[in-house]
Amino acid sequence: MTTIDCDGKITRTINQEIRRLMEEGVEEIRILNPAARHSLGVGLVRPIRLVFGGSVGYYCAGMIDGPAVSIHGSAGWGVGEGMMAGTIIVEQHAGNGAAASIRGGTVVIRGDAAARTGIAMKGGTVIVGGSVGYMSGFMMQKGTLIVCGDAGEALGDSMYEGVIFVAGQVAELGNDAVVQTPTPDEMQVITEQLARYGVDHPDEFKKIVAGRRLWNFDKREWDVWKAAL
Amino acid sequence: MCGIVGYLNKSGAVCPIGRTMLSMLQALGRRGPDSAGIAVYGPEDDETVILRVKLGEHTVPAGRKDQVVAQAETLARVTQAVVTGEYLRLVVEYDGQPAALQQAIETVAPDVEVVSIGRALEIVKQVGSPDNLDATYGVAEFVGTHAIGHTRLSTESRVDLSHSQPFWAHGTLDIAAVHNGHITNYHKLRRQYEMRGVRFYTENDSEIIGMYLADRMAQGLSFDQALRASIRDLDGSFCYLAATADQLGFAKDSFGLKPLMVTETDEYVAIATEELALCAAFGQAVQAREPGPKSVRTWRLTAERKRQKGVAA
Repeated sequence: MTTIDCDGKITRTINQEIRRLMEEGVEEIRILNPAARHSLGVGLVRPIRLVFGGSVGYYCAGMIDGPAVSIHGSAGWGVGEGMMAGTIIVEQHAGNGAAASIRGGTVVIRGDAAARTGIAMKGGTVIVGGSVGYMSGFMMQKGTLIVCGDAGEALGDSMYEGVIFVAGQVAELGNDAVVQTPTPDEMQVITEQLARYGVDHPDEFKKIVAGRRLWNFDKREWDVWKAAL
Repeated sequence: MCGIVGYLNKSGAVCPIGRTMLSMLQALGRRGPDSAGIAVYGPEDDETVILRVKLGEHTVPAGRKDQVVAQAETLARVTQAVVTGEYLRLVVEYDGQPAALQQAIETVAPDVEVVSIGRALEIVKQVGSPDNLDATYGVAEFVGTHAIGHTRLSTESRVDLSHSQPFWAHGTLDIAAVHNGHITNYHKLRRQYEMRGVRFYTENDSEIIGMYLADRMAQGLSFDQALRASIRDLDGSFCYLAATADQLGFAKDSFGLKPLMVTETDEYVAIATEELALCAAFGQAVQAREPGPKSVRTWRLTAERKRQKGVAA
């Protein structure tokens, strides 16, 4: 297997080496000693398998389009931010803003994810084996966020579209977020997706979607707007 | 930006903490290129008090050391007086109020400033990188039981030694803090303290954290309770670390706007703004977690602390 050892290299060199190996047609790269440094494996727009042998820092695998990324440790803030397609699997935990603004692909975090997970998602799927922090799914526009543990305050605040499934406790719903019961079909899709990535989960999920009361301004609903703004 | 780091050896034994702190600070150097500093807690000594005194800005005027020593001797018995860089390190026998000793020394000249007073605490800080700090003060050789450190990216106040961190809580024994973020109700709080006669030495909002904690503790709160109260009383974005002669803790604002990673074992707890600093000091197998918004944790040295004189450089 092709490897890159991060020790003694600046981040730019590591990212350039990944691109050079991709040009050569390498299918899988193992990246050793990432030492929680930032901005590793960003902006890669072709399929490749990347395996990080430890924890990574901020914005790992951001803006990718196609790669399958595996992180054998934790990820800092903004893992996978703005990704278009591909998969990212974080074996441990993720910091704030995991999978922010993704348009497609799947991000799996086996442990906990912090605040603003899946903020402004425009597509794709985010699976969290543990819990998520406050304002997860804030201003979400499309896509699916599945949380097997608990969710923090202001969950799904000001969502436009998209759907959030939470198995555990929701500390507080965000403005205009409403709870529904998932349909059997939806439950089947959730179960299949979690099984595909080997994520354990409880049997029941709550479904959170936009109440759509913030879609159009109505002065008779001033109180709703006042709370949201 | 700014980087903050902390370490506490739970057993209370003195350890080569300088090396650990330096490697964490070096890893965070790019978060704060303006200045660097550490507050090290050496072995506590009931008999003596250690002072770090800034003798002047950039240059040390001739005779300044002798003036400061003479002034200190009006209240205390000076047993050691060594000048390194811009600092005079004084070891004195003194059991009065720290504020009285501080005020006596600062009458020497307007640019003389007592940077720390403690039975265990010693602060060294200066403009420049962690490497420079080590070159000037030999930080890597420092030993102690716990420590906090800072690399600064200044945003609102000037870059000089006085505005660097850690900040000693003036007039107290051993209380110090480092901060990443902005305290947005600083001016309001500062006015309240000033009306009660508290003197501020800088325009740096971070200076108020130690003052606030000392004030709360003087009102009877424990160190842990004071940190918890600060979550409500301080506004803005902050992660800060604070320490006393035998405790270390952190507090994080209500929105968790500033990063902070914590790793803990049976032997030690280490805290740094970014995980890469923990990797640099403890290797990549380190298991670190980011505490959530509003979190506060404090640790205390568990065993009876070793008591011996004059270990820190």
